[in-house]
Amino acid sequence: MNRPLLETMDLSKHFGGLKALHKVSISIYPGEILGLLGPNGAGKTVCFNLISGTYRPTGGTIRFEGARTDGLSPQRIAAGGIGRTFQIVKPFGSLSVLENVLVARGISRYGSFLRMWRGWKAPSEREKAMRVLERVGLTDLANRKARLLPLGNLRRLEIARALIVGKKLLLLDESFSGLRHEEIDNLESLIRNIRESGVTILLIEHNMRVAMGLCDRIVILDHGQIIAEGDPASIQENEKVIEAYLGRKGTEHAS
Amino acid sequence: MQLFIEQFLNGIAMGSIYALVTLGLALVYGVMRILHVAHAAVYTVGAYMGLLVLHLTGSLFLAFVGSMAFCALLGVVIERFIYFPLLKYPPYVPLIGSIAAMLAIEELCRLFAGPYILTFPVKLPFPSIRVGGITISETLMAVYCITAGVLLFLWYLTTKTELGLAMRATSQDIPVADAMGINSHAIMSITFIIGSAIAAIAGILVGIYYNEVYPTMGAVPAYKTLALIVVGGMGSVPGAVIASLLLGVAETLLIGYANIPLPRDALAFIAMIAVLMWRSEGLLGSK
Amino acid sequence: MSSYLITVATLIAIYAIVVCGLNVIVGFAGQISLGHAAFFGIGAYASAILTTKAALSFWTALPLVILVSAFIGLLLGLPSLRVRDDFLAITTIGINFIVEAVFLYIPFFGGALGIGGIPRVFLFGTRMRGTGFFVLCMVFLALVILVSWWFTRCWGGLACFALREDEEAAASMGISPMRFKLLAFVLGTAMAGLGGALYAHYMRFISATDFSFPLSISFLGMIVLGGMGTLWGPVLGAVLLGVLPELFRPLVDYRILFYTLILLLMIRFQPGGLLGEGSVARRVFSLRLLGGKS
Repeated sequence: MNRPLLETMDLSKHFGGLKALHKVSISIYPGEILGLLGPNGAGKTVCFNLISGTYRPTGGTIRFEGARTDGLSPQRIAAGGIGRTFQIVKPFGSLSVLENVLVARGISRYGSFLRMWRGWKAPSEREKAMRVLERVGLTDLANRKARLLPLGNLRRLEIARALIVGKKLLLLDESFSGLRHEEIDNLESLIRNIRESGVTILLIEHNMRVAMGLCDRIVILDHGQIIAEGDPASIQENEKVIEAYLGRKGTEHAS
Repeated sequence: MQLFIEQFLNGIAMGSIYALVTLGLALVYGVMRILHVAHAAVYTVGAYMGLLVLHLTGSLFLAFVGSMAFCALLGVVIERFIYFPLLKYPPYVPLIGSIAAMLAIEELCRLFAGPYILTFPVKLPFPSIRVGGITISETLMAVYCITAGVLLFLWYLTTKTELGLAMRATSQDIPVADAMGINSHAIMSITFIIGSAIAAIAGILVGIYYNEVYPTMGAVPAYKTLALIVVGGMGSVPGAVIASLLLGVAETLLIGYANIPLPRDALAFIAMIAVLMWRSEGLLGSK
Repeated sequence: MSSYLITVATLIAIYAIVVCGLNVIVGFAGQISLGHAAFFGIGAYASAILTTKAALSFWTALPLVILVSAFIGLLLGLPSLRVRDDFLAITTIGINFIVEAVFLYIPFFGGALGIGGIPRVFLFGTRMRGTGFFVLCMVFLALVILVSWWFTRCWGGLACFALREDEEAAASMGISPMRFKLLAFVLGTAMAGLGGALYAHYMRFISATDFSFPLSISFLGMIVLGGMGTLWGPVLGAVLLGVLPELFRPLVDYRILFYTLILLLMIRFQPGGLLGEGSVARRVFSLRLLGGKS
């Protein structure tokens, strides 16, 4: 097996007495789609936030391409090639769809004091941004203000931005939630498409059918700890998993 | 020594009055996350209304009641017409609205009552007591007793009543409070009613304490109380009270004893920045 | 042109320069600053002191003034911008009060008497006064607007817009919030400092009370009225709020009331300002703006 692209070792995040995540060790290998599943409150988004740098771990380490990233700022981690979407979409409302994507394209400039003074309105930049919009199917809406978009399109915009930033690893946080049937199919093929282009994907998902169909491997979290991991088939038969999901009121399955 | 104690007692009185004004601000911030700078204008109106009702009825009691009622109404009007509709905008929008409202109300006071300093010559029906050679005037006694009374009332309200529970829930998390059946907008308005009525009390007390009522009397409290709620921890009422008392004592003692070449107002902000450097969420605030 | 008009116009031009700076901070980067008058004052005092006590000419002092304003902006911005929105508002108010107190109480700055006898500006040997000085201010204003325009077109500016819209999302795209907030803040305070220098050499006498908190509110009012985050909004706002008090002069006693009521109505019903999106004025005139992102 080749070396993991990202690995967390005994990763923990405690909020006072609450152990949101406790000694979680996950390895993600290049080119795979890994699913992070579990009931509500299991700690999935906390895990994402630790990997993306939004939170500092209380314990444990995170290594990306062999180098430690725990404790780095979100912008440093993004500059390293890790992109993410957010569970509640965060568009740049008053900017247009194209401009939203252009912000992501600027990632190579924001770190340099000299390069940040150069213009972004050049036609070559717009073209490259349009090509990304093509991949997610938002070219028609390029000049629409982001805040006017419906949820389905906003999720695609999130992915477009994350795609540009996440040259190596993409973290997708419940990108399928709230989508209609056709949109789900489109998104599934887009994600497969992205993996084909060489990007590794870690996704959080509540939609079981989608997760099982898309992921190569799955890790199940419950109460901040890993209770199972393996390929979709073995997960579905795992008793602990079934108990975690069914033994709980108000769990969602297919959306 | 005697001078020190006298100054200390004056400082506590000063701090108590700051606390009364800051309370309203802390309550409003807690529930709406808005810096209600116009609160200082409500306080000014409180002083004027108190004076007016006193003139009309001759009764100090009615002056308090009438002023509190009027200010409560004013507070709700401000909340409903300015703040609530602007909640969806970035915070500087309601803040500017608040400042504009404060200036407009001050101007109205000036136009109605004249720019000159009016006097508030009233004897407060509190005893003046002598303790170990130190006289505590009836004004000071009034300030202590009334402030203590208000704090007691608030403590009872927030910890022992359902309304208080609703208020605390709303200040924690509005969507969750709504989901639990609390009418968060009604709670906001009630908070304004309570805070504004308390501001009215503070206005009257200040008017009597200094025997001065004038249109811009709210200017200084406006900014100081901002610094005070920051020091106390935004939205924390006990924090605001403690910070107010500390500032009152510090200002009075400093003016009396040290020769610091800085105006009192700057002191409040310097203290604020110092506290923020040490604890970025204020004395009793939470991150 | 009558000398009264020139006086008003010059002051408006100077305020427009200052307010363009505030627009970078509040309009472009979305940071609240309620202490902008302090930086206006820092520029004024810096120029006054350099030209009186150090006997430099206006032009030699100018780069230093802008540097000082920017540097103090950096110094004060570092601790301030770290804190949340509401804290930032109050901290900047505090900055205004403290800076004013420093000017008022520290003898080096002339204390309550301020600094007087500030020399005129000479350009190629000619004394700039009246219309000449007005034109000079307009040239600087054009420069400032050019810089603002360039800012909206460069990656740094785009980063600030993103920051304004959603700080967390911006961070996930490599934008360091602290770095870009500081960038906008320093640019804004530098512009304010420039305005301050012009003010000092125009009035030729300055004192601490010229730069107190109410002025910061006026500045904020100008960009709110004109349209925060737009390119020409600050200029429009400075014109309106510079002209309105003069227009309202006949109302004498009711001037301030009208002024504050207009500000209140404006913020209540058109928070985006006259040049902001969806504003009545924009729809009526179908204005096309040159650049800017509101």
